[in-house]
Amino acid sequence: MPKTILIIDDDPVVVKYLTALFEDNGYNTVTAGTGLEGEQVLKTTTPDLITLDLEMPEEWGSNFYRRISREDRLKKIPVIVISGMAGRHAIKKAVAYLPKPFDADKLLGVVKKTIG
Amino acid sequence: MNMSLPEKTSKNETLLLVDDEPGIRRVLGITLSDDGYTVLTAESGEEALALFKEHRPGIVLTDIKMPGMDGIGLLKRIKRIDPDTEVIMISGHGELDLAIKSIQNDAVDFVTKPIHDEVLAIALKRARDKIEMRRTLSAYTENLEQLVAEKSARLVELERRVAVDQTLEGLSAAFRELAGGVGGDVSFFNDMPCYVTVHNTAFDVVAANQMFKERIGGIEGKKSWDIYDAEENSRPCPVEKTVASSTGQKSRHTVRLKDGGSIPVMVHTAPIYNQNGRVELVLEISADITEINHLQKKLQATRQRFRQLFDEVPCYISVQDRSLRITAANKRFKADFGDDSGAFCYEIYKHRSDACPQCPVARTFQDGRSHSHETVVRTKTGEEYHMLVLTSPIRDENGLVAQVMEMSTNITEVRRLQDHLTSLGLLIGSASHGIKGLLTGLDGGMYLVDSGIAGDNQTQVREGWETVRLMVERIRNMMVDILFYAKEKDLKWQRVDIASFAEETAAAVAPEMTADSIELVRDFGPDLSEVRLDVGIVRAALMNVFENARYACRSDIAPKTHRIVFKVFQDPDKVVFSVEDNGTGMDEKTLSRLFKTVLSSKGRKGTGLGLFISSKIIEQNGGRLTAVSTLREGSTFTIEIPKTPAIQMASRQSIVNDA
Repeated sequence: MPKTILIIDDDPVVVKYLTALFEDNGYNTVTAGTGLEGEQVLKTTTPDLITLDLEMPEEWGSNFYRRISREDRLKKIPVIVISGMAGRHAIKKAVAYLPKPFDADKLLGVVKKTIG
Repeated sequence: MNMSLPEKTSKNETLLLVDDEPGIRRVLGITLSDDGYTVLTAESGEEALALFKEHRPGIVLTDIKMPGMDGIGLLKRIKRIDPDTEVIMISGHGELDLAIKSIQNDAVDFVTKPIHDEVLAIALKRARDKIEMRRTLSAYTENLEQLVAEKSARLVELERRVAVDQTLEGLSAAFRELAGGVGGDVSFFNDMPCYVTVHNTAFDVVAANQMFKERIGGIEGKKSWDIYDAEENSRPCPVEKTVASSTGQKSRHTVRLKDGGSIPVMVHTAPIYNQNGRVELVLEISADITEINHLQKKLQATRQRFRQLFDEVPCYISVQDRSLRITAANKRFKADFGDDSGAFCYEIYKHRSDACPQCPVARTFQDGRSHSHETVVRTKTGEEYHMLVLTSPIRDENGLVAQVMEMSTNITEVRRLQDHLTSLGLLIGSASHGIKGLLTGLDGGMYLVDSGIAGDNQTQVREGWETVRLMVERIRNMMVDILFYAKEKDLKWQRVDIASFAEETAAAVAPEMTADSIELVRDFGPDLSEVRLDVGIVRAALMNVFENARYACRSDIAPKTHRIVFKVFQDPDKVVFSVEDNGTGMDEKTLSRLFKTVLSSKGRKGTGLGLFISSKIIEQNGGRLTAVSTLREGSTFTIEIPKTPAIQMASRQSIVNDA
């Protein structure tokens, strides 16, 4: 059974890119353009991994992360931060921090190592 | 054939058509002329090259297969002469390898025979677009170069001012030193521009200064009277008279020079007594009269030059007494602060009735040292200048500080440049952030194309290509934003009827709102009048704010009717435009970064300026752009423009501009 990745990024271009990249490599994907949309998706789906942008128009990715880490069902889901912002200060528990523009092979490597 | 090209862009463009078939030259030539091109024709590569060198057409349309120099050869030669020329190749059917070779050699496009109207139209449009784009870019580049030149000129001017400050400082130090040296130092003798000799009572010359030795000669065996012209009735000579009378003498004589010439001198003698009160030696000083005239002239010139310096230096100089009363001031000071001599410094500079607490002049009176101080002063016409004030003590003969010289340099411009540099720094920071996003997008586009080709998925290839195109568009928008900001803008204040300005702005954004099912509410104050403002800048900022509000509503998933309220009202000092939406709203962190970075590379369509740039430009025009927001409830952006632009404009002026 293929693993599912939730992609959260406000830039539709990045969402499209990550979707194609993950699906070409045998993963399922679900997507969201904001943290709030991400929470909507999480009501019906429990993904195996989340990629999260930090800087989004209405709310920072770190707020989304704070909210989901309060829920037992969601707090174990590994998160990879993919952002143009420097530093990984925002989410200390992230399994990886990839600054944009990211290296696709490196991202796939991290994903494979984390969820197989 | 029947081609129709958009007229406005094809006009005035010269096109060179090269084909060895006369029929093609004729038919194609007529069509292209009808479409507004100035058409030159050539039947061979060689002829084409000669025509090209003479007329420099922007576009060349050439057949590939021709006897002699073929199309590819011509293309290479033309590109070597002017790489900016756009060359379109005409190839026969099935000559794909030649077409590829053309593109490798930088042809803009190729069309195959028989020539289809639409295909040629597209190729020509591509060529014109490239030319147009290059012209626009080159205009921008030139503007930038000019901007850099202007900025450097201003910096050089500022450096010059600093240098003048330092010179002044040096001058006053030299004056102090000279005053201290007058009484004492004897080495002074050798430097004096006179003949100085010492004689004994046997009338032998026993010592002489350097100038004497150089011009009159050695002193060995020389008698006191030998100095003077023998023909002149010079006995008894001044030294003899001094010894006889024991008093100093003053007379005119002529001295004989080593080289045989003679010069008139003024002779002063002074007896030097021994311990017993008897004359032992005589000091004789002869000053060249012509030299004195020269010296006097020099002194006068120096004085005049100093006066000129005092008046013309690009600083304000005043001299003040202990009560801070102005006793002298230079021309510039008088011009800008009034020549009300006898007034107090604090009255004239600060328009106050008592001394300023940090007065550097008072401190110089206290400790006898120079002080510097930065302050804001107001001219007699009400303009505010940032001043760097330096003080220097002027001492009397007893070494006490009698007066203080105050030199003030207008650094308003420096401050303004500093502000501009700071925000340019911020701009670069956010631009580099934006570029990271764009690179990610380009990576995405390329990946989609690659993986689409690999999986033979045409839809994905197209999607990928569309993404690349979108990113290029965003890069272009970002460039325009940056250039718009970096360019020094002249203010274009004009009287504007606020009510119609507001209505026009609302009308411009209304269709987009309707398309996104957003209700646009106009809430205009009842007594909107005419106000002076820079329409272009305020409108650009407002459009950007509307674009943000629309985006906030569109991306809000809450099930509610979205509404944007456009409020415009006036109070006695300012006009206020506010745009209130009930979209997603922002959290505090996002709000706090809103005006700091965000040359957004993301969702924004990129039609206008970023919020960062908008706020900076509104600020430069004396206004304010602010925002309040609550997450999930909405945001309100407010632009305030003061009604009296004169105040803001004054602060932008500087001493450089009026000099």
